[in-house]
Amino acid sequence: MNTDFKHTNQIVDFALPPVRGGPGRLSQHLVSKQGAVIVFWSGVCSHCVRYDAYLNDFENRNPGIALLVVAAREHESRAQLLAALSQRALQLPLLHDADRALAHQWFVRQTPTAFLIDANLQVIYRGAIDNFKYPQDPEYEPYLDAAIEALLGGSSPARPETAPFGCPIESIHYILPKPLGR
Amino acid sequence: MPNAILSSLVKTTGPLIESGLTMADRMLGDMRSLVRDCASLDSAAPSSTADRGQPADLDAATSEFANRILRLARFTQFKPSRIAIAYQDLSGAAMKSSPPLLLRDWLTLPAELPLSFATLAIQEGLRAVTSAQATPPDRWADFIGFVVEVFSDLHIYFSLQYNEELERWQKCVEERPSDAAARLELGRTYMKCGLFEEAARELEIAAKTPDLRHRALYERTVALYRCAKYRTAIRDGTACLALRPKCERTRYWLWLSAQRAGGYPEEVPAKLRMEAKDGYHPTALQLEDVAVEIGLDKVSGGRGTAVLDFDGDGYLDVVIAGAHAGCSLFRNNRDGTFEDISLGSGLDQCVYGFGVSAGDYDNDGRPDLYVSSLGFYNGEGRLFHNNGDGTFTDVTKDAGVDFWGPGFTATWVDYDLDGRLDLFVANNVGGLFDRKTRNRLFHNNGDGTFTEVGIEAGLHTPWPTIGAAWGDISNDGYPDLIVSGMGRAQLFRNNGDGTFTDVSREAGINAPAIGSVVFWCDIDNDGWLDIIQFTYSRPADAIYTLRHGHGPAGGSPPRIYRNNRDGTFSLVSDKFGITGCWGTMSACAGDVTNSGYLDLLLGNGDPSIDRSEASILLENDGSGKFRNVSFSAGLPFTGKGHGVNMADLAGDGRLHLIVASGGLYPGDLQTSAVYRPTSSLGNYLNIRLTGVESNRDAIGARIKLRAGSRDQHRLVSGGSNFGCLPCEQHFGLGELTKVERMEIHWPNGQRQILENLPVNTTLGLEEGKPGWRAIYTRK
Repeated sequence: MNTDFKHTNQIVDFALPPVRGGPGRLSQHLVSKQGAVIVFWSGVCSHCVRYDAYLNDFENRNPGIALLVVAAREHESRAQLLAALSQRALQLPLLHDADRALAHQWFVRQTPTAFLIDANLQVIYRGAIDNFKYPQDPEYEPYLDAAIEALLGGSSPARPETAPFGCPIESIHYILPKPLGR
Repeated sequence: MPNAILSSLVKTTGPLIESGLTMADRMLGDMRSLVRDCASLDSAAPSSTADRGQPADLDAATSEFANRILRLARFTQFKPSRIAIAYQDLSGAAMKSSPPLLLRDWLTLPAELPLSFATLAIQEGLRAVTSAQATPPDRWADFIGFVVEVFSDLHIYFSLQYNEELERWQKCVEERPSDAAARLELGRTYMKCGLFEEAARELEIAAKTPDLRHRALYERTVALYRCAKYRTAIRDGTACLALRPKCERTRYWLWLSAQRAGGYPEEVPAKLRMEAKDGYHPTALQLEDVAVEIGLDKVSGGRGTAVLDFDGDGYLDVVIAGAHAGCSLFRNNRDGTFEDISLGSGLDQCVYGFGVSAGDYDNDGRPDLYVSSLGFYNGEGRLFHNNGDGTFTDVTKDAGVDFWGPGFTATWVDYDLDGRLDLFVANNVGGLFDRKTRNRLFHNNGDGTFTEVGIEAGLHTPWPTIGAAWGDISNDGYPDLIVSGMGRAQLFRNNGDGTFTDVSREAGINAPAIGSVVFWCDIDNDGWLDIIQFTYSRPADAIYTLRHGHGPAGGSPPRIYRNNRDGTFSLVSDKFGITGCWGTMSACAGDVTNSGYLDLLLGNGDPSIDRSEASILLENDGSGKFRNVSFSAGLPFTGKGHGVNMADLAGDGRLHLIVASGGLYPGDLQTSAVYRPTSSLGNYLNIRLTGVESNRDAIGARIKLRAGSRDQHRLVSGGSNFGCLPCEQHFGLGELTKVERMEIHWPNGQRQILENLPVNTTLGLEEGKPGWRAIYTRK
């Protein structure tokens, strides 16, 4: 476990197998970018589905920031991930953290959990993508977008960390028999 | 049959049927033992933790099968052409519900299987009979619909089958685009997943079918509100209410939308409008939500909250559990603001937490945590040992407190007064047709391990349990237990020898209830602990209360039981002015106004996605009446408060109201709120006790404070709610500037008296040690 991570917010470059091709190493994604967003994700997470459109359109909205989506849920196979991408028409640069090693190293327990790092591999923000409200809601807080804006503007985000919410990446409940019996 | 006659019939025959069912249950249990004895099988129930991939025993299997049938019935569209599929589903459900059976199990199966189904039916019958007594007949349909939907949905959403659900309804809609019923269900499923815009789109189409128009428009109003399209929500809500002007739920959501949009637009007719009357009693108290400002705005399906000084720096820290988040540990920056230090603390590993309670079980000066799991669905509670360096270690298995069950309230207590904290965990049911999971009493062995002694102690509870709390019926110093849930509350008197006697009936607190949390406090400051039990209310009753300032006839307000000082209790809610039906899920008491009288904070609602109701603050006016000051004090109209708490987080005498909110559905996440008085309304004194011979947290200690010739009484509680209040005891003193005397009754029986204590400060007192030490004075 990278114990420095907790205290220094410094990560090290990593590589994971891409689910649908493309580069698998973080540094490859970072080339000519000012930073990267890494989102831990699952094809069966009922919270991740809310962010399908957000993630699909991410690189159009943020050309200076790379996006890596890391599938890290226990027992979720590459075939299942491909099926989820296909069914939901997702164009995500998806990497597979099959043994959840990266998730453990980064203390990730749930999906979606987002990290924003700068080009020097410093964690600028970690936590939830937003506060689960809609952009038209007066109380909407775009945590991740605000952090990206701060990074691109050369400042520190007002909130470098929020508590993530979502589906656990490891849970006894996912290996129980399917309750509907189908 | 008229409701009055039916109600009277149920009340007359209900107790007799209960007795009959209980006897039948006992007889069937004996018959099963006989069968197993004849076959030389072990009669003891096997542990259901043996294999989580399939039911562990026959009883678990019959429950599983019944629950599967319930879900299949609910989620299958029955048509003659689908008989073959229904048969396949049925046989599939039976196969998947099969436990691992040995050859000798097969020998007894023909006898045991019917007995198992029969005992399950009896348990269900008991719950049904008590629920029928607790609920007037005109509310049965609402209640049954609510229970069936929630219990059949829980498994879907906690085991991540929302996709299958969506696909099922999407396929139905693709195959039969004119099937408005399927489209309505698709819209509702989208809403439960938090996809409100998609839900609104489907519900708009469903609303074109005349038969379903009202229902679809209602659901769409909720969906539109949830995605902040208030103007459109008002339009649909108005159209919906015009169809059925008596639908109070529609009226409520229309009102909520109008509140958000700045008021009713002109096009909403007066007869479709409503006005909130409850919650506007005048008060000097003004609250502001400072959660964002102080860093406690956690988004989750908020559950229990615990306030504790985990790092021993003297400042109160906060733990918030979440059904859709990990446990978050927030460290007080010594100024009332907080830093989230969950990462790597060990608590971040704990997901699906429900109740959370702090207690220093090894008396090392560092409070440890127990987190129960899921409450309405089987999970595993976890015990975290505080390492003293900002981290916690999961010691559940090593400590011997691991079990598989739907854990709700967890509460620490030193029930045998040996100076070590024991642990009680209240268990609910993990499915509509589940057998009640035994409540657990874990005796602390003094070496970091616990032994479960619930059965030997005599703490048998047939009812699904949600709330539990320890107090003292007779001031004999031994902690007594009250449990509350769907059935009859039970009061267990501590016999002082490690066993308990159920004295509910003679104490007069065993009326049937759809109960939730319960706690003890001295509500009338007479030195005898009273009991407050909270109950479920259907949405219509909560809306009626909001509109009229009191609950409807046949409603179920919170129950205040005053201690008569003779082992009996009297129901006195009316006398205290508590007549509202809010449907309370969590509650606590504290002197928010620093008046010298305990106020009550209630978190309300139920798991349904279309319930979002205000937390309620009941101010004690000092004359023995509670006044609902929620909205006049500044609380918002919406919420779903699972974990309410009160604590002086800034150390300045202002009790902060902490409300962790959110529901079971992934689409029902909310943000924790912290309401802080904008100014201090009076003087105060905070007291923290440290036990020496008694348990170090002094849980179970009683404090009597005399100031201005008036007494105030407090109990140091080990948790009674979804979470636990801080062990620090807050006394409001109004204009008084001196505390004349304080008397402490420590759990080990020692009495300690201090005189002439200062005010507007937080003091620490140690068992057996004269004087006090200042922790901090008002900032």
